[in-house]
Amino acid sequence: MKSIWIAVALVASALSSGAWAHGPSRQKTTEKIEINAPPEKVWAAIADFHDLSWLPGVAKTLGSGGNEPDVAKRQIVLDNGATIDESLFKYDAAEKTYSYRIDNVDVKVLPVNNYSSTIAVLPAEGGKSIVEWRGAFYRGYPNNDPPPELNDDAALAAVTKIYKSGLESLKKKVEAAK
Amino acid sequence: MTLRPRRWSGRGGLRRPGFVRMAFGAACLFGIGAARADEAFITEQTSDAVSVLDLAAKTVVARIKIDGKPAGIAMSRDGKSAFVTSPEGKYVSVIDTAARKVLRRISLPDAPLGIAADPAGRFICVAGFYQPRLYKIDPASGAILATVAVGASPSGVAFTPDGKLIATADRDDDQISIIDAASFIRVGAVKVGAHPFGVTIDAAGARAYTANVEGNDVSVVDLASQKLIGTIAVGKRPYAVALAKGRGFTSDQYGGTVSIFDVDSLRPMQRISVGDYPEGIETSADGASVYVANWFSNEIWAIDAETLKVTAKMAVGDGPRAFGTFLRETH
Repeated sequence: MKSIWIAVALVASALSSGAWAHGPSRQKTTEKIEINAPPEKVWAAIADFHDLSWLPGVAKTLGSGGNEPDVAKRQIVLDNGATIDESLFKYDAAEKTYSYRIDNVDVKVLPVNNYSSTIAVLPAEGGKSIVEWRGAFYRGYPNNDPPPELNDDAALAAVTKIYKSGLESLKKKVEAAK
Repeated sequence: MTLRPRRWSGRGGLRRPGFVRMAFGAACLFGIGAARADEAFITEQTSDAVSVLDLAAKTVVARIKIDGKPAGIAMSRDGKSAFVTSPEGKYVSVIDTAARKVLRRISLPDAPLGIAADPAGRFICVAGFYQPRLYKIDPASGAILATVAVGASPSGVAFTPDGKLIATADRDDDQISIIDAASFIRVGAVKVGAHPFGVTIDAAGARAYTANVEGNDVSVVDLASQKLIGTIAVGKRPYAVALAKGRGFTSDQYGGTVSIFDVDSLRPMQRISVGDYPEGIETSADGASVYVANWFSNEIWAIDAETLKVTAKMAVGDGPRAFGTFLRETH
């Protein structure tokens, strides 16, 4: 399943500026899935910020700070060895949602800049759940006239692919555990 | 280059009840007896459009197609013209607000983001994000009248109400530049917090307030002495500042909040929840309401500046940024 983490062939370029450099047009995406299990059970599967066993392509996570906003940090180690550093900035167990941002990722691993995300479990009819995963981010190329592998469409496609795949995997995991 | 407006249907319009889509017919609505209400011109970056929101009817009454990922906007003081930046298209569109028409496009040598209109209506100022420079432009001819170098990644632009000074928020240099509007010479630069994005100048023309995205705070600069006189902690990733009733209001993108502070004591007062990723924020001309564009949830919310209660939630198209002055008085 590591294929969801695309490895783009980068044109050698002046991507030297920090993670905050970006073009002026932010992208967003929302993916949802219905899971045949109550919200408490679905939330239990994702509630630990340091447990991404439900997300395909992740070998392990390293980190600290539990689920405390502005304290918790995790490093995701992918099956291919690449890493993504993330921080938790909102956590609400009662509302079954948390928000985090990427502090550091190579655009070859995920072609985005200034990425933030929220995942939430919502109640649905018949005791089921809806999981909603939302992301806001800039493309991987921070300046005008991006190469195609680092443009807005590439960023959107990469994030959407992870969300779809992750939600499918979460659904399977939770529904199989009934 | 003069563009003819085209009839256009946005995706966002079809999904929302009460979302009236009109490219041309809006003007005739005003002939049927209803009092004309103030309007908000909302740059919808994802939709490539500017929507016209009737703030009394609380509904979109017109949409104007503008390509190039429109983001920044400046309203002329008389409300007759709006100037919209398209960073990806590298141009500014001049809108006849009553006719809901793009009159002309002004091409720029750089990606424009922040924009402000001279209070006397003589020219507009546009920040080029990458070069980085501030351009003084004649909106009638589109001619670049003057150019001045500012700090890295200039974002917000604001005039003092007397039109004498201009401030730019130089995001990547953590400073504001202060420019003399007549000579178009930079007369100072003042260090502020980390990554200032929006800059707002008060009605007296005395202070500039910056929303510091990375600092999670607001810097207050005295323009006469060119000194930083205060810092106020606000919510996460503040984008811009509005001022009303002796209070400051910040749109906190990551916080999903508007933080309110007292402009005399420079102390935080309260924080209220709004939609997702609040960005553009501005006070109505009568000072009674603050309007904030929620970029992710595609809504404009109104806040009573006195009671600090949310008084309206209005649906717009996808990706509203409304970075700058977007409110128009129509009476």
